Amino acid sequence: MKLSTLLLRIVLACAALMVLLPLLWTLLNAFKTNADLLVNTPKLIFTPVWDNMQYVLGRRSVARALTNSLVICSSAVAMGALLGVPAAYVIARVKNRLTREAQFFALSLRFLPPVAVAIPMMVIWLGLGFYDTRFALIVTYMTITISITVWLSIPAFERVPIAVEEAARVDRLGPYATFFRVALPIARPQILAAIAFSFILVWNEFLLAMMLSTSKARTLPVVASEMSQLGMNVPWGVLNAAVVLLSLPPLILLAVAGAGMNSVFSRKSTQD
Amino acid sequence: MATVECRNLCKSYGSHEVIRNFNLSISDHEFIVFLGPSGCGKSTILRMVAGLEEITGGDLFIGGARVNDRDPGDRGIAMVFQNYALYPHMSVRENITFALERAGTSRDEIRRRLDPVVETLGLDIYLGRKPTELSGGQQQRVAIARAMIKTPEVFLFDEPLSNLDAKLRGHLRVEIARLHRALNTTSVYVTHDQLEAMTLADRIVLMNQGRIEQMGTPEEIYSRPATVFTAGFIGTPSMNFFSLDAGEGRLRNADIDLAAPFPLRAGKVTLGIRPGAIRLVPEGTPDAIAATVERDEFHGDMRLISLNAGAESFMVSVPAATRLSEGERVLAHLDPASLHVFDAESGQRLGD
Repeated sequence: MKLSTLLLRIVLACAALMVLLPLLWTLLNAFKTNADLLVNTPKLIFTPVWDNMQYVLGRRSVARALTNSLVICSSAVAMGALLGVPAAYVIARVKNRLTREAQFFALSLRFLPPVAVAIPMMVIWLGLGFYDTRFALIVTYMTITISITVWLSIPAFERVPIAVEEAARVDRLGPYATFFRVALPIARPQILAAIAFSFILVWNEFLLAMMLSTSKARTLPVVASEMSQLGMNVPWGVLNAAVVLLSLPPLILLAVAGAGMNSVFSRKSTQD
Repeated sequence: MATVECRNLCKSYGSHEVIRNFNLSISDHEFIVFLGPSGCGKSTILRMVAGLEEITGGDLFIGGARVNDRDPGDRGIAMVFQNYALYPHMSVRENITFALERAGTSRDEIRRRLDPVVETLGLDIYLGRKPTELSGGQQQRVAIARAMIKTPEVFLFDEPLSNLDAKLRGHLRVEIARLHRALNTTSVYVTHDQLEAMTLADRIVLMNQGRIEQMGTPEEIYSRPATVFTAGFIGTPSMNFFSLDAGEGRLRNADIDLAAPFPLRAGKVTLGIRPGAIRLVPEGTPDAIAATVERDEFHGDMRLISLNAGAESFMVSVPAATRLSEGERVLAHLDPASLHVFDAESGQRLGD
């Protein structure tokens, strides 16, 4: 092995450890008693306890927040996919001024600082009487899911060779059949990854959820953050358990759609 | 089986006109090749026939019916694309049968039609594979099978062999010729490769800048090019051209002086002659051109010699056994029967 390769590998390994160690630490701490946690020398070997998890899962607020998160995020993502994927297809295939503007608009939605969205949204939902409801959060989150799905699906559809769609037209497929039977299946891995990514974004979303809900519609990130305010003694174990719980869905999605997600963000074409 | 007729076909993109008043009538069973340099509009016309490109003006008839406004799927055509355009998410079998399934053909009927097509193209062992697991040549075979099973009225080929390597190209070219003999379907084939055009075509339509430059059998186009463009485009190695003045039964310039092959009006002409029609002759032959050898290319079955005669340079093909050294002085004789004379201004052929 060349020296430069070796050095690069070492740098890479250090970078990986920097990311992985805190995550591993959180995972371990979620299963420690406070006595094991609050020591000067961190313990790698300890008797794992289920107490923290049980405490988190046993709280009614957590159970409700978990349901809220699941319902709100999946609805927003489902609606985002339903509206965003066909929109992305049109933008990818029909190139004109209107679609170019639409493509940029979808992205520009993400330029706004979340607070700038949250405050007017709060006023709107208060005025309409939907403040602190799942419905309000679903609609608000759709601005995120639609724009992300549209933005990431456009390159996925652009990679479908135009000649294949022309072959489909010669094979008597109309525009809808071409979309459902040819374009969508070919772009599927990347489309799924785009949808998964939009799910992760809204699942982790904190600020909007905090400002648009007080109790009924609180989502898991907000409730988890509240655990740090339980008292003078910070319950590290409980906090870590909450974080682990919160991280599970994105990690599972990443495992399922990871490969596709990588190709969404790289320009490399899967086929010429 | 059907005829194809283009009447005054026009195509413009915005105000940019690429095809203007294109007229062509293709008879039943005919194999027509559109040949021309890239950007000459040959693919555009094919795509208009296919229905993939909208027709700006004029009428297109397939089998006697006007099809301008019909979808590609309703024109009775099947198309083979340059980059195969197979459905990557389907197996080879599904690729071939997809159109029939869409059309609601029964399972038994599909199976009955699949077998001979698969057998003809030797695809039996690949049926379960995905297109990405096949080589380019195999992929194009699948694409041809997909077109064949539809038993179309007209086959359209859009540079089907351009993405293949030379050996495979030759192989598949022979296969396409064999298929055409067996099926006898009217075919329109677009290529920029003159070898494909010469070997496959019943008639070549040579195109240049959106117009038909010349139309005819491969022999006609090769032996009687109607314009300087055709003469220069067809034939490998390509034709030599000389700018000469015609007058008093002679064709001459500073370095060349030849007897005119037929009576010509005085004026500037372009004289064309293929490298194979020039012979190296011994001293004392009348009308020979004194030249020096500049380069000697060995082509295996022959040698291509670059000669310089004053300001003129031209190519001669000689038997491979001929030994010439650079700078050697030779005499070249142009076969009077193989001279092509063109008007220097219009580029049109003069004489017979």
